[in-house]
Amino acid sequence: MNLGTRKILDRSFTALGIGSIVVMALALLIVITPIIYNGLGAVFFKGTIEHRKLLYNEFHRGDGAELEREIAEVAVYRDQAYRMLADFELELEGMDPEKAREYRMQYGPVKTALQTLLGPPPGDDSAILTRFRYGQTRWEKAEEKLHALLYESKWDYSDPDVMAKEYFVRRAESFEGTKLAPMFGFVEKNAEKMLLPRFTLYWGFLTDSSIDAHIFGGIWPEIQGTFFLAIGAMLFAFPLGVVAAIYFTEYAKDGVFTSMLRSANSTLAGVPSIVFGLFGLAFFINTLNVSESKSVLAGALTLAIMILPTIIRAAEEAILAVPKTYKEASLGLGSTKWNTIVTVILPAALPGIITGGVISLGRAAGETAPIIFTAAVSVGSAIGIADVLSSPTPALSWNIYNLASEHEAAAEIRHVQYGMVLALVSIVLLLNLSAVLLRARISKKLKG
Amino acid sequence: MLALAALMLMGTEVSAAGNGIVIDGSTTVGPIAKSFAAYFTKRYGVPVTVSESGSGNGAKSLINGACDIAAMSRDMKTQEIAAARKKGIQPVAHVAALDGIAIVVHPSNPVRGLTKAQIAGIYQGRYTNWREVGGPNSRIVVIQRESNSGTQESFKTLVTGKAVPIMPRAESQASNGAVKSRVSTTPSAIGFIGMGFLDSSVRAVPVDGVKPSVASIRSGTYKLSRKLYFYTSGQPTGSIKQFLALPSTADGRRIISELGFISQ
Repeated sequence: MNLGTRKILDRSFTALGIGSIVVMALALLIVITPIIYNGLGAVFFKGTIEHRKLLYNEFHRGDGAELEREIAEVAVYRDQAYRMLADFELELEGMDPEKAREYRMQYGPVKTALQTLLGPPPGDDSAILTRFRYGQTRWEKAEEKLHALLYESKWDYSDPDVMAKEYFVRRAESFEGTKLAPMFGFVEKNAEKMLLPRFTLYWGFLTDSSIDAHIFGGIWPEIQGTFFLAIGAMLFAFPLGVVAAIYFTEYAKDGVFTSMLRSANSTLAGVPSIVFGLFGLAFFINTLNVSESKSVLAGALTLAIMILPTIIRAAEEAILAVPKTYKEASLGLGSTKWNTIVTVILPAALPGIITGGVISLGRAAGETAPIIFTAAVSVGSAIGIADVLSSPTPALSWNIYNLASEHEAAAEIRHVQYGMVLALVSIVLLLNLSAVLLRARISKKLKG
Repeated sequence: MLALAALMLMGTEVSAAGNGIVIDGSTTVGPIAKSFAAYFTKRYGVPVTVSESGSGNGAKSLINGACDIAAMSRDMKTQEIAAARKKGIQPVAHVAALDGIAIVVHPSNPVRGLTKAQIAGIYQGRYTNWREVGGPNSRIVVIQRESNSGTQESFKTLVTGKAVPIMPRAESQASNGAVKSRVSTTPSAIGFIGMGFLDSSVRAVPVDGVKPSVASIRSGTYKLSRKLYFYTSGQPTGSIKQFLALPSTADGRRIISELGFISQ
């Protein structure tokens, strides 16, 4: 091969490498951007007066006097809208019964739509579920609901041989000539004055408990549960893993038994996580009875088994990477084997061991399948540290799935779901970042 | 790391009552269980946790003693009761609410209504095109629930019968919410969900000419209705008994109807 071809090959390989990195970065960008954008939407958004009311009533936060003033301010407009409803109801009484019934059929959804937008009318305190006690707390949702109030979605079923098309009818048209007709224009014009949207920074999303099954409030119980599970798993898996790695590298004699152990460890690393979940349920909960029901303890143990192989492998690699001369020098100076391991080998291997550990911690925080049957619940309050032995907990990974598919109002609370995703991604990222920093610090110290 | 630990301890309120109520089971009963849990915790200070893993898993959990209350959207099967007895558990049923199984299609689907026989035919694979049941020329995408689902069991009992199984080609979804979102994004799909999950993203088709509604289910004219249960091991006592009394209290009935279910 002449020099020219070699150069070309060399360059094209460099280009290929850079190209693949760029593709990866782009893919990451495409995945991460919507997560960050929508996730931040759970904390930064245009909050309406309903949001401030909710915070004040449920969490006792905010300026009461200011809220009173705002409530009085919006009441001017709201009362007018509600008066139009009341007038129309009176008008219905006096109408021809046939016609009145027709109007009533259409009036029901209008009333519901208005209440969805603004909350129950003043004085009506009968709703029990928090979701019906407040109007729209977020302005972008309020705009959606305003549209639903102004326009009725209809489907053209006239031709049974084709799939129907959706079309919108102005509700105002159906009430032409009645006292209700002006209400639509009035609400459309004054929606902002009725809801007072204002840029809101809702840090409580991270520190509040959820209210009414995640429809309002924050995700603190989930964040806390994720930490409990991940750290709990680490408490079991890390010491065990390091001890096992020391055994493999320093004590085990090469033989059939050791190689069997090693391959068992590698196989364990490849087992799908749902299998660990079912194993955890069958073994820890049903057989060992570590707790009465699902619990953080059972979940942490299950996760610990799942991350154990990774920790063992990482620790093993780290120990093997310690130069042989260290060990020989120590032994040559008359140190015992155990002393050598503790004072020479482990400190030198520590950066590698810790990196493996923290990356496993990140994995434990993000896994869903192992905790479905052993620890996670869709609704539960934040538990105290004293309850980890017996109580199950909500956790980010599982609740993201729950909100995405099982929740009865999944489409209404996408922002909560995105917020959870962003929180989980950030936690894992932070853990990995701290691993990098920790490693750098320890390496520096060792060299120092 | 230290900062994280400090943050955690700060936000952790050590709860006094370690003895909470653990509920596991049906995704259909989920909204009721979750709302009752929030109400109960707020009112009596007893922590209640709810997992939605399906009726079948709820029953298994109860049999293994891993939950206090199993939420189920179907009756307990004889095998399950036998398994429970073997473990010394006497399952007791408490009715939570009534529920209709709504047969849902995409809102664009013009089909006016279906008979029970037609629905059974669709799920057993006899009809594969909407044209055969009064709709447009479009292949039917059939959505069913997984075998663990109580709604699936109820559907089988009420509609298809046990003799001819649901065709294996039917796509399985893991929860009411998942069926709803699948149907709402697929114009030619058909699925079935609990009444409490109905919203404008899907259309409930009249069955044998009757639309599912509070009135038609309570009166029994809508045929696809069933009871939703809370099962306990033996007669409940203490806070569990208090919890199970909720469906018959005024507030409990109100919650059930606000959620779109029907109180008994």
